[in-house]
Amino acid sequence: MGYRSGVLTAVCAFFLFSITVPASGPALSKADEMCMGCHGQTQSMTMGNGKKISLKVNATHLQQSVHGIIGCSDCHGFTADKHPSRSFKTKRQYRAFAARMCTNCHDPNKSKVHASVTGRAAPGTVCTDCHGSHTVRRVREMTQGNRYCLGCHERKLRMTFKSGEKLTIHINEQLLNQSVHNNLSCTDCHYGFSSEEHPVRKFKSRRSYSIALSESCRRCHFDNYTRTLESIHFNMLSQGNPNAPVCTDCHGSHFVTSSKHNKLASAKKCEQCHADIYNTYAKSVHGGALIEESNQDVPVCSDCHSAHDITDPRTVDFRLVIPEICGNCHADKGLMEKYDLSPAVVETYLQDFHGVTLKFYKQEGQAKPIAVCIDCHGVHDITKTTGTNTNLIKENLVKQCQKCHADATMNFPDSWVSHYEPNFTKAPLVYLINLGYSFFIPFMIIGLLLQILLHIWRYAVNR
Amino acid sequence: MEKANTEYIKRLSGYRIVEHWLNAVAFALLVITGLSQRFHEYSISEWIILSLGGIDTTRIVHRTTGVVFSVLTMFHIGTASFGVLFRKWQPTMVIYKKDFTDVMDNLKYYFGLTEHPARCDRFDYKQKFEYWGVIAGGMIMIATGLALWFPALVTAFLPGELIPAAKALHTNEAVLAFLVIIVWHIYNAVFSPEVFPLDTVIFTGKIAKERMIHEHPLEYERMFGVTLEGHGQGTPEETTPV
Repeated sequence: MGYRSGVLTAVCAFFLFSITVPASGPALSKADEMCMGCHGQTQSMTMGNGKKISLKVNATHLQQSVHGIIGCSDCHGFTADKHPSRSFKTKRQYRAFAARMCTNCHDPNKSKVHASVTGRAAPGTVCTDCHGSHTVRRVREMTQGNRYCLGCHERKLRMTFKSGEKLTIHINEQLLNQSVHNNLSCTDCHYGFSSEEHPVRKFKSRRSYSIALSESCRRCHFDNYTRTLESIHFNMLSQGNPNAPVCTDCHGSHFVTSSKHNKLASAKKCEQCHADIYNTYAKSVHGGALIEESNQDVPVCSDCHSAHDITDPRTVDFRLVIPEICGNCHADKGLMEKYDLSPAVVETYLQDFHGVTLKFYKQEGQAKPIAVCIDCHGVHDITKTTGTNTNLIKENLVKQCQKCHADATMNFPDSWVSHYEPNFTKAPLVYLINLGYSFFIPFMIIGLLLQILLHIWRYAVNR
Repeated sequence: MEKANTEYIKRLSGYRIVEHWLNAVAFALLVITGLSQRFHEYSISEWIILSLGGIDTTRIVHRTTGVVFSVLTMFHIGTASFGVLFRKWQPTMVIYKKDFTDVMDNLKYYFGLTEHPARCDRFDYKQKFEYWGVIAGGMIMIATGLALWFPALVTAFLPGELIPAAKALHTNEAVLAFLVIIVWHIYNAVFSPEVFPLDTVIFTGKIAKERMIHEHPLEYERMFGVTLEGHGQGTPEETTPV
């Protein structure tokens, strides 16, 4: 080849280069161009089972791939001189054969996580199934956002704990997208993980994993997280009871929904652990209305116990706030009118002996018990007070009274005028006494004052 | 009012003075610890109750003082009855028809219809009114107070409604008694122009002669066997018990 033709070739090559090579990706090597001479066009190979696969390679995709810098023969072993004819029974057999080449450079067990993924993959799965062949890209570029994680986690993966327990870490994308967190990415909660990092962590047990992971929630829900620190559940947890509930036990993890407008769902969460109480509640006037009528006015567990800062309801401190708790609804005029109930029940209690005592115990910081709403009406088993068998109610009431007033008899409960402002029919004696004094006291005092004024006047006149 | 050369006449024994003041202290304590419970929503009530050490302590103080007050009242009634029945004490606190006519006479006098006020004996109708107010009110308070203290015992024999009724009676009567004492008794013993700045009889047991002639002319006449001039038309015979 002479000098001139050499220059000509170089010029032609230059033009060819500038025409055929897109802005991104390096140019194909000469050997590769040779391969593309045929494989750039529609080509196919027929398998032993008669099926065909396309042998056409998209040069642009190839050049954009992470393997754009390596030649066709680096993977395929073929050169212009050496192009043996091979036959495969099936497409799968061919893919398995071709993918063997990947392990020449890449160790599939180098990353423990990758090893566990490939270890659990369906038999016959090969590299190219996930990573592609001529379009192969850096893993972190393959997909973005949650799809990146789901690339593996939508497969049936499981993790194993030291205890031998297993946990499926397969994520249902559909449910994930229905959750209130559908605008979050996996790594918002699973911090420490990214396309770059996937630390392998070993937890003692499923439970310790749940407890550790629920710490993620506080990164956004700091207020509620802080409230839980004062709860009996957190207290149990910190005292070493791993079964005390953490965020995810009530709210779920990947399928977090809001039960703000679904009181039954809210109560059902508590039922998971407090089934006995739930069953009692379900039979009560409140629970019955919730379950049978979907009444959203009735209280569920969290209305009385709160949701996050749940304190021990067996303490005297809790007892002291019970009238307030019941009063949230039963002193609400509008709400009580709706159900034809008296909104005066709380005030009449607070003005009575027990209510006054309670008020001062609270102010004094005294942890002494005093009769509150629940002592007569029950707790989770609250029923209507306008039952047919009033004698039975009275009998039960005496038993409650006797807890403090040991010598109480059947007449004793009548000394409580049943939340009514005394009137002529309900408590005539009390009503008449009050009425009488409401006239007698002003009559007496005004009379005496007039006497005094007369006396002073006479004294002044005499002087 | 009092001058150095004023003549004094003994009116009250030391026993009655001590009795009055014991009663006064008990009454004050009962009012403070009782009305602060009745009107518990006022901040002064809360302050009183909390200062006393809480509602339980307040109730202990109230009930203990109630026992003291009851003993004083019962002892007074006992000794007075015994004295009148067996020791020929003069039933000077008994209300007569004359006490009602005295009221009318005094009203006429206040309106300027007569020249002279009513001529009263050892205790005038104002004092008798207060005395019987304390006795009757005291009995009500003792009975209802015990019912409120031992509700289970009471309802073992009587209907349950008596307990809230007892409470209504106890609190209303308390308010009435408090107001009568504050308005009427304190006026008559402190602010009345006839005794201002203070009626000292309940401290010294002695009354100025002039005041006695003015306020208790019938007793004065009987005591000294004289007939006072220019002190109304009342005659001593009318005041002797029937």
